[in-house]
Amino acid sequence: MAAPKIIVVGGGLAGLAAVIKIAEAGGNVDLFSIVPVKRSHSVCAQGGINAAKNLKGEGDTTWKHFDDTIYGGDFLANQTPVKAMCEAAPGIIDLLDRMGVPFNRTPEGLLDFRRFGGTLYHRTAFAGATTGQQLLYALDEQVRRYEAEGRVRKFEGWEFLSAVLDSEGVARGISAMDLRTMELTTFPADAIIIATGGIGAIFGKSTNSVVCTGSAQSALYQQGAWYANGEFIQVHPTSIPGEDKLRLMSESARGEGGRVWVPRTPGDKREARSIPETERWYFLEEWYPKYGNLVPRDVATRAIHKVVYEHGLGIDGQPMVYLDLTHIDRATLNRKLEGILEIYEKFVGDDPRDVPMKIFPGMHYTMGGLWVDFNQMTNIPGVFAAGEAEYQYHGANRLGANSLVSCIFGGFVSGPNAMAYAKSLKAAQGDGGHAQELARQRELNQQLLSSKGKENPFRIWRELGDTMTKNVTVIRHNKNIAETEAKIVELMERYRNIDLSDRSQWANTSFAFTRQLWNMLQISRVVAQGARLRDESRGAHYKPDFPERNDEKFLKTTKASFDAAANEPRFSFEDVDIQHIPPRPRRYDAAS
Amino acid sequence: MAEKVIQIEIKRQSGPDAPATWEKFEIPWKPGMNVISVMREIAANPVNANGQDTTPIVYDSNCLEEICGSCAMVINGKARMACSALVDKLEQPIRVQPLTKFPVVRDLSVDRSVLFENLKAVKAWVPVDGTYDLGSGPRVFPQQQEVAYPLSNCISCCCCMEVCPQFNDATGFVGAATIAQVKLFNSHPTGKVLKEDRLRALAGDGGVQECGYAQNCVQVCPKQLPLTEAISDVTRDVTLQVAKDFLRA
Amino acid sequence: MATAARPDASPSSSPAARGPLAGGVEPLRAGKGNSFLLRKLHSLSGIVPIGAFLIEHLLSNFEALKGPLAYANQVKFLNSLPLVRVLEVCLIFLPLAYHALYGVYIALRGKANVIYYPWSGNWMYMMQRWTGYIAFVYIIQHVIRQRFMGVSLPEHPGAAFHKVQMELSNPWMLAVYVIAMIAVCWHFSYGIWLFAAKWGITPGETARRRFGYVCAVLGVVLAVMGLASIYAFVGPNYKNAPDDVMPAQTRLSMPAPHDASLSQGYLARI
Repeated sequence: MAAPKIIVVGGGLAGLAAVIKIAEAGGNVDLFSIVPVKRSHSVCAQGGINAAKNLKGEGDTTWKHFDDTIYGGDFLANQTPVKAMCEAAPGIIDLLDRMGVPFNRTPEGLLDFRRFGGTLYHRTAFAGATTGQQLLYALDEQVRRYEAEGRVRKFEGWEFLSAVLDSEGVARGISAMDLRTMELTTFPADAIIIATGGIGAIFGKSTNSVVCTGSAQSALYQQGAWYANGEFIQVHPTSIPGEDKLRLMSESARGEGGRVWVPRTPGDKREARSIPETERWYFLEEWYPKYGNLVPRDVATRAIHKVVYEHGLGIDGQPMVYLDLTHIDRATLNRKLEGILEIYEKFVGDDPRDVPMKIFPGMHYTMGGLWVDFNQMTNIPGVFAAGEAEYQYHGANRLGANSLVSCIFGGFVSGPNAMAYAKSLKAAQGDGGHAQELARQRELNQQLLSSKGKENPFRIWRELGDTMTKNVTVIRHNKNIAETEAKIVELMERYRNIDLSDRSQWANTSFAFTRQLWNMLQISRVVAQGARLRDESRGAHYKPDFPERNDEKFLKTTKASFDAAANEPRFSFEDVDIQHIPPRPRRYDAAS
Repeated sequence: MAEKVIQIEIKRQSGPDAPATWEKFEIPWKPGMNVISVMREIAANPVNANGQDTTPIVYDSNCLEEICGSCAMVINGKARMACSALVDKLEQPIRVQPLTKFPVVRDLSVDRSVLFENLKAVKAWVPVDGTYDLGSGPRVFPQQQEVAYPLSNCISCCCCMEVCPQFNDATGFVGAATIAQVKLFNSHPTGKVLKEDRLRALAGDGGVQECGYAQNCVQVCPKQLPLTEAISDVTRDVTLQVAKDFLRA
Repeated sequence: MATAARPDASPSSSPAARGPLAGGVEPLRAGKGNSFLLRKLHSLSGIVPIGAFLIEHLLSNFEALKGPLAYANQVKFLNSLPLVRVLEVCLIFLPLAYHALYGVYIALRGKANVIYYPWSGNWMYMMQRWTGYIAFVYIIQHVIRQRFMGVSLPEHPGAAFHKVQMELSNPWMLAVYVIAMIAVCWHFSYGIWLFAAKWGITPGETARRRFGYVCAVLGVVLAVMGLASIYAFVGPNYKNAPDDVMPAQTRLSMPAPHDASLSQGYLARI
């Protein structure tokens, strides 16, 4: 019997972790990635990776890690898989350490740990300020080793388009597009693992990378996969707005005394430093005298959002507020914050020691994702999902430094489970649906290529991002969400009238983007409608009209499924596994 | 008052064998723009400076934070990352062209897979026994970590290879990035089990010997890797290895 | 196994991941070829024996400052060394030929880009190649004109000073010698620095910078010595030196093959 063939889509931490497990178990893997896997979005993670190793004599335990994670996620996560993740985390850190990740060390040569949000323990292992990069490289190197041995074939520069499903709806492979030749091909596999990350691009600008469009998840959703908890989107309070994206500004800037303010006059054109104190509004200090600028993340995010969108006081009419460090002397700043100040300097061009930084909350993480069972399999047999692309580890809000561990753990669970599934898989009828799927994808391409409208896909994307960011991120009102929904429907209509300014069939990135755009529009509806339906406030989801958590009605997983006939999502709600820790209130003044 | 405009000229090529031409664009200026955002403006309104319809620019990019290594290109004559190339700090017209030492896929997108092949050739990995739980890793003291960490920051952007006068078709030089990774893995307590293999690999044609010590690599590296130091150290090790192999043969 | 049931689904028949685009720089030929050895030999030969010989030659030339007779004695001394012909071929001619030819091969394969990257290391890289070319051309003419043409110095060491003086009396030739002297000293001193950097003797930034000063001083000292020697031939002190300051000088008594003169004179005059 030949070794099972597994296709892994996505070469970030989750995808690579799955590949390693499969190759190690003797399976053959085809790894698909839009970008060379070493350039995946996991490189962007900075802070660290959580594991209750208890190397600081604090009595930390995996149970406490589990409890922090569930509590931080406002009890929305199914508890059994989260518990398993927290228990596996110390072993994962050890493995990464053995793979050569240059973690920071104690003088004795042991792993060093730092504290992070949402916990009282030193639980976060870190490699400088580039932990995600170092972890990704370690896994990438292991995969390269398997690739050199012929166990793994990499298809870098290929885009996943859909699963190939047989007449019984069982996955038999994938269809993909070579982003150079633009050729469509189907690839056979006994199981596929989707590890394609977050969906930041539907918000236009986010802290996510360019490839984080959610296109793969959306394509599967349109093929019948359930999409869970789509409405839970983490927004980081301090990011550096850029013309092209939002870049994170570490919370430590506020920790070291940074003050957040806006000019009291709307559209004040004066330079920041020339605005007198009396004409500045330190709104966090005014609204939260106890915590001042160091209120918890979600509170800060909401406050900034309110000042900009409700009070209209963004700097120069733009969605930005000042994060001011200029009152602190240069020597102190250089000693404590040099690294992050250099990032600001590099990408903005201003020296934050002289000029207040301009920051704004930025869409950062997708807590929701493809619905999976405890074996990481979606409701489509043979389609597994891992990492940020699935929903199961973070509930309503992700704790810092938990994402890296959830990605690797999800990959480690999905890989062996996909192998086990593949080994018991019965032969397909006929060609397993390959010819049909290929024909469908060809037709989709043809439709786009022959479309002779007037709409520019990049402009549709901008409008999508604007409406999503405005109405479906930090503060959510049902009225506004309804507006966004209508807008998305309008954009979908306009999409049918698209004008591909480039119709060539060689490395046509705008063509590939236009295909992704449709999927982005579809998944945006899931996020928006999910947010509209959830009339409560929980974790990252905040509705001023429903400011309290409502466990009776909404301690449930939102499940969206695609109604192809109506071309829109249908929603159902599933009970959450709370068998280990009974829900309790989550309060701002407690650890969060 | 006329709107402030960015003048940019982009070297375009519709495919690997197609002729290259320069195309000019005039893009409305906005504060804080980088070269990537200029190209996004072009995509949203693909019209060149002569008012003719054109196609969006094809280029590689991903994180836009100078950490994924995708968007290396030659901007005003210098190899650098487009995401950190701020328009306001560049002389105009901004001239953008693809890296010159790598095959052009299209426009500014190039094929840099040679680096990944090189990493394979030098076995740039730690050969762990398996991913099952085997307890803690080897002890590594902070001093060692401080040597390893900067080397591990290499983002595979290939700028060091682009600017190296020795990295070209004639020499087939492996380039500084790979040599630095050899130093990294040779210094790891477990990784060094493959040290001899790596050193022998680097004594092959295109190996460390091709370095001409122009030191452009260390100047251009966006991550400030100590590349020349790595080349020095590794070349010494390769020489000793070759001598050792010769004496034992 | 499901896929095994389908003939079109075995891994071998599904499309392969595409390779790199044609036309790029080829990857490392791990462990293959012997360019490492050749290159290291080139690097080493520049220091020993060529560098050592250069220093000897410059010291010998320096004798010219003491006058034609001292210079003649130095030429005579060198020609009296045991096995001088063997030494000359093995330690000078062959290494020099190898260093020169392989050096040109190296230089031709580099693609200087100092126009785009005008950084000091890059300038040095380019200078090393240009001074190499200068030395290459210069040494060929120097050997031909001083060894194969005119009076044979091993037989007439006393004629050495006059011969050089005649050569340098042509202002063009003088310019050639001055330029070549500076180029060769530059090439050698930077070569020492490169050798230390590339062989891992000075891996650290600070060590390289400090050693750079050492090499710079050495280069300047050698160049000044060389230029002073040239001055001895063209300056006012020994104007119109006699044709031969040792007219009684006969053939050296060492057993020499019929072409010994060819090599013996060479030592002192390259």
